[in-house]
Amino acid sequence: MTAGLKTNLPVFIVVIPMFVAFMLPTFARRIKWIEGTVAAVKLLGLAAAAWLAHMVLYEKDFPVKYIMGGWPAPWGIELVIGNLAALFILTIAIVSLPVALFARDNLEKEVGPKQRIARFYVLYLLLIGALAGMAITNDLFNVFVLVEVVTLSCCGLVSSRKGHGAAKAAFNYLILATLGSALVLGGIGFIYILTGHLNMEFASAELGRVWQSSPHTVWMALSFLFVGFGVKAALFPLHVWLPDAHSMAPSPASALLSGLAIKGYIISFMKILYVIFGHTLMQEYGIYRILILIGMVAIIIGSLSALLQKRLKRRLAFSTVAQVGYLFLGLGLANKEGLMGTLLYLVSHAVIKSLLFLAAGAVISATGKENIRDLAGVGRKMPIAMGTFTIASLSLIGLPLLSGFIGKWHLVLGSLGAGDILSVTVIIIGSILCAAYLLPIIRIAYFEPAPEADWQDPGLPQKAALILLAAGVVLLGVLPGPFIELAGRAAAELLLIQ
Amino acid sequence: MKELLEKVVINYPYLAAGILFAIGVLTVLTRSNVFKKLIGINIMESCVFLLFVSAGNIKGGNVPILDTANPKPVYVNPLPSALMLTGIVVSVSVTAFALALIIRLYNSYGTTDLRRIGEMDYEVKKK
Amino acid sequence: MKDYILKRIVAVILPFMCMYGFYVILHGASSPGGSFAGGIIVALSFIVFSTIYGLDEGRRILPESVLVWTESFGTLWYGLLGLIGIFKGVPFLANLLAGFKPGTPGSLFSGGLIPLLTLGVGIRVASTMVTLFFTIKEE
Repeated sequence: MTAGLKTNLPVFIVVIPMFVAFMLPTFARRIKWIEGTVAAVKLLGLAAAAWLAHMVLYEKDFPVKYIMGGWPAPWGIELVIGNLAALFILTIAIVSLPVALFARDNLEKEVGPKQRIARFYVLYLLLIGALAGMAITNDLFNVFVLVEVVTLSCCGLVSSRKGHGAAKAAFNYLILATLGSALVLGGIGFIYILTGHLNMEFASAELGRVWQSSPHTVWMALSFLFVGFGVKAALFPLHVWLPDAHSMAPSPASALLSGLAIKGYIISFMKILYVIFGHTLMQEYGIYRILILIGMVAIIIGSLSALLQKRLKRRLAFSTVAQVGYLFLGLGLANKEGLMGTLLYLVSHAVIKSLLFLAAGAVISATGKENIRDLAGVGRKMPIAMGTFTIASLSLIGLPLLSGFIGKWHLVLGSLGAGDILSVTVIIIGSILCAAYLLPIIRIAYFEPAPEADWQDPGLPQKAALILLAAGVVLLGVLPGPFIELAGRAAAELLLIQ
Repeated sequence: MKELLEKVVINYPYLAAGILFAIGVLTVLTRSNVFKKLIGINIMESCVFLLFVSAGNIKGGNVPILDTANPKPVYVNPLPSALMLTGIVVSVSVTAFALALIIRLYNSYGTTDLRRIGEMDYEVKKK
Repeated sequence: MKDYILKRIVAVILPFMCMYGFYVILHGASSPGGSFAGGIIVALSFIVFSTIYGLDEGRRILPESVLVWTESFGTLWYGLLGLIGIFKGVPFLANLLAGFKPGTPGSLFSGGLIPLLTLGVGIRVASTMVTLFFTIKEE
């Protein structure tokens, strides 16, 4: 029994959230059942992810390939459970459980009647399942389908907020994201035309043989994929949809979108770049330099625009644009430390940004004020919400012993290893700017006189969610051992495949 | 030059896909009417489908269904067509979702022009 | 609509449309077409019915609860068929490995698991399309 469970674990991790999601509408009237089911699925997911990570770390026969339907590799779909997949699935599980806990009391205020809450949970589970699928699939067309599922459920989550602003943000997001996915599909089409394979490893081997005879098609495929995933991951010049969408969504949805959905696209892009194209091709076409340059510009411009925002959630959304810059910069460094930095920063940013958005959501729903200036004294009236917010901010700035530090540290090491002093400078300037846009919020919340108002910390489940995530931030900073091990192995794996 | 022209003429589906793609992207990016944007998205996606399907086509190839009377014909590659069927399903769902959003937008703003909606939002913010 | 001719014609062709849809769904394994195309034909038969006879009549023969159940059931059916493979100790969604008979090529039940899978997907597609039509029409 356990053997069967173990061999089929990759399928269950992807399939169970999706099928449960499709079953949820049948009991839309009984909201308690839905909440219970979602919590059970998430707890199971956390246990499965922890088990998977444990197996990947301590058992020898990994990475394991799972063959769907028993059709072997070039014909069938392969799922690969490696270090990268284990790392990302663990991140998804860690972040999504507190978000579900937080959503319980929050949704009625932001989403509306029962029927719509049920749909919110459907989209939530679909998003989680599809993200896990993106991490483990080894098939290009599967990547496209899962990218579409993630995109549509994200748009649905944004539009689930009451009021008309959300519909407009969701429409803009949908149009731009669909443009991105058409580009991704076009890029996959060029790879398929060139190589005749959709399996990543077979395509990579074939591409190594044929790229010299048709260099322009390879260039087209690369640029299509780059722009497509760039739109979806909100890379700097293509980020225009993000601030509206992420600040208009209900708070739990903002946490998921900023924390997880963007990371899923980056993981997919990373796999496509490093597994299919590989080191030689990327160097030949100068992708590394483009990645580093765009990453640096994104860090600076994203941080500066965050500094200009007056509303809390918009400032956090622009901060995401800046942090995406770090992730792409690490991708372009092309050494082990740089890739490790990207992976670790991806994990820590997922936890930190979802905590920031949830805390901001708790503050906004208690006070009803969205402008940062109006939040004077909120820190003393809502100690838990603002306390966790402070921990997350300090961690995002990169204070040692908190989780953001480790990722940034490896990114700096990677840049030094690549001999790129400019990017070290940009990383440090980015941290300073990050302090410049986050610390004023904390100063206003703690050190300015509070008005006479009845602001209180949220209820017990929400407090628990915030504290769980804050504990995650601290634990990742103090005991990062397994994560560093997983990320290091994943980086080595990605670089060795070339 | 002649070689290039020959290549283009032989691969005319790719050329058509390229032109359609440009039309679609232009429509999406320059029009402010939501329906026109949606039509642009659909044009763009269908041109990617054209690219895929024409890549799998063989001139004079047979439909890839097992035929016991004629055991070894030349089959058209069925994989791109099957994939594009999935792509079509995805594009249908995107269209349906976008239409639902358009209805919501129209109900709350009374117009389907994004520029006008932006102006209305700006006026509300100024007050 | 009050047009007598339209109503009579729809009443005559409706069963055939529905049947043709299921024909396309079930023969998806051995001929062109399949679950998506067939499901849309089935959905179209109901859509035609409710445009001619009015939305209320359409809602009466297909209430929302039925649509929700068929939608979820189609997906569940797919998942359960996939699980058969796991219970037999072979991968998820295994077809011939899980002991399904391939049958003679071209006949209805050829391809083992495939006609059953397409049936589930077809039902789901049909109910989703009808739900979409009803929801957008009601807005």
